[in-house]
Amino acid sequence: MGDSIKKWFSLNLNSKEKQSSDSCGCGKTTGGCNSHTEESISDDDFMEAAVNASIGDERRKDGFEQVFDVKMDRRSAFKKLTASLMIGAGAVSTSCSVIADDETKEKAQIDWEEQFKGNYKLMTDEEKEGTVDRLVRSYQMRTGKNISMSSKNAEEDVLFGYAFNISKCQGYMDCVNACVEENNQDRNSQMQYIRIHEMKDGKGFNFNEADDNYYHEVPAEGHFYMGTQCFHCDNPPCVEVCPVQATWREEDGLVVVDYDWCVGCRYCMAACPYDGRRFNWSKPEVPEAEVNKNQHYLGNRLRKKGVMEKCTFCVQRSRAGKNPACVEACPTGARIFGNLLDPESTIRWVLENKKVFRLKEDLGTEPKFWYFMD
Amino acid sequence: MNKYILLSKWSGLVFCFMMISSCGHNKNEYHSVNDRIEAESKDYNGTSITSDAYIDHIKTMEIMEGDHTFLIPERKSQIQSYACTECHTKPLSEMQKNNESYKKAHWNISLNHANENTMNCITCHDGKNMDNLQSLTGNQIDFNKSYTLCSQCHTKQFDDWKGGAHGKRIGGWAPPRASLTCVNCHNPHKPHIESKWPARFNTQIEKERK
Repeated sequence: MGDSIKKWFSLNLNSKEKQSSDSCGCGKTTGGCNSHTEESISDDDFMEAAVNASIGDERRKDGFEQVFDVKMDRRSAFKKLTASLMIGAGAVSTSCSVIADDETKEKAQIDWEEQFKGNYKLMTDEEKEGTVDRLVRSYQMRTGKNISMSSKNAEEDVLFGYAFNISKCQGYMDCVNACVEENNQDRNSQMQYIRIHEMKDGKGFNFNEADDNYYHEVPAEGHFYMGTQCFHCDNPPCVEVCPVQATWREEDGLVVVDYDWCVGCRYCMAACPYDGRRFNWSKPEVPEAEVNKNQHYLGNRLRKKGVMEKCTFCVQRSRAGKNPACVEACPTGARIFGNLLDPESTIRWVLENKKVFRLKEDLGTEPKFWYFMD
Repeated sequence: MNKYILLSKWSGLVFCFMMISSCGHNKNEYHSVNDRIEAESKDYNGTSITSDAYIDHIKTMEIMEGDHTFLIPERKSQIQSYACTECHTKPLSEMQKNNESYKKAHWNISLNHANENTMNCITCHDGKNMDNLQSLTGNQIDFNKSYTLCSQCHTKQFDDWKGGAHGKRIGGWAPPRASLTCVNCHNPHKPHIESKWPARFNTQIEKERK
């Protein structure tokens, strides 16, 4: 394959077309792929072959530059990526194996391409579609179930914003449940993006005395309720601190995470002044029957252990014109969502006609999440 | 001498460059998000996104109130025994006269809305034509536009509802806007909403904090 726009290597061993290069994908220059079996080469030779197979004669700049932006011989650089290489080697081994069936080979091919794909932020639209297709196919092969995954980009002339009416919220927490179900959050750790804080009347926003995990009839006498979640800051400190640029602000204002690029350092979690981010300490699990199969690459697709996640204003819904799940689930109408650039939108009416304020405004994070009262 | 001219030329250039770079508004550099909204929405031309598909299973009607035009759910088809005149064949006063010969209806409705001095059935219902509601001054109000009845007293809520700050939006955020009307959430006979248990309790958080 190796056409100039791709940012990762493809083995393409599974294609029906004849390989045109004189060296086969498995690294051998003589004989066919079928001419060797697993036990005929030593592990070191195998590693060498894998390196050759993936690098070949190719020496131009490519997606690996994103990883290795240092002066280093590409061979030695590649060798340093041992963990990845082992997966790659696995892929090569399965791809070349005579015993492995087509599906196993395809799986190996997908694993390989997924392992070495670039940062989503830098991908072209075709590359985005490519990775989404691979993830859908991979899920289909692993579970036998079909999902739909979107890579829809931000629409022009859209900037998402949110308003929260603290005199309307009654603390029912229907929003939290809807969010968990919509966004495939880990059921074991009961992860939730939204927190509803029960606060005493007359004490202002006193988070130290607030309770975000109450269980009694609501609304409780003498209390008011306010929700927090990711505020999708226009000047997001979490994005600033990410050492690998796995999180960024999209054109429509959504602050998103590429779960496949995140290294799990949790700097962003520490940088967020609003407790907007969540970390997967264990492998997130969602019962198959409860998996929301309408997914977006930057949104509710299934995550893995050791990556950050957070509210995306339900990117899979909002970019399709729907309201986020929390807005739809709220029975009180306390949650208002819309396009800040549309002068006719309800969110703009709220911002212009109600007395709005934001949390920790003095930090200069410019959250796109406003609170107001009746 | 030449040196000085060159120097002044250079500094002039540098100055010019600084001016340009500070005045030229970088797309993502505004002092605040409010500035950004104001600047970027100046030439807003709409988007291709609509929420038509999310409301086409609901029968809606378009209303125009002040500067606001939006959709609300149609009401009459949702009322169980509309038209009321199917039973209320005579004016209320005549029906109440022959008490024995008519079956008691609406026994399950008790009015719990303001106090007796302020409201009774005919504050809102038109005793002469039960298919309509009536305003405080006796004008007829269509059941589909019952919000005009509510707004006689609840003016502040009405203003907020028109703007979109009160009440629940349905469909999606994208145009066209569709909002629930007063009676979709509030029972007009008993507008107070009872307290209830939250939908969720996070046992994991409870455990972690012990």
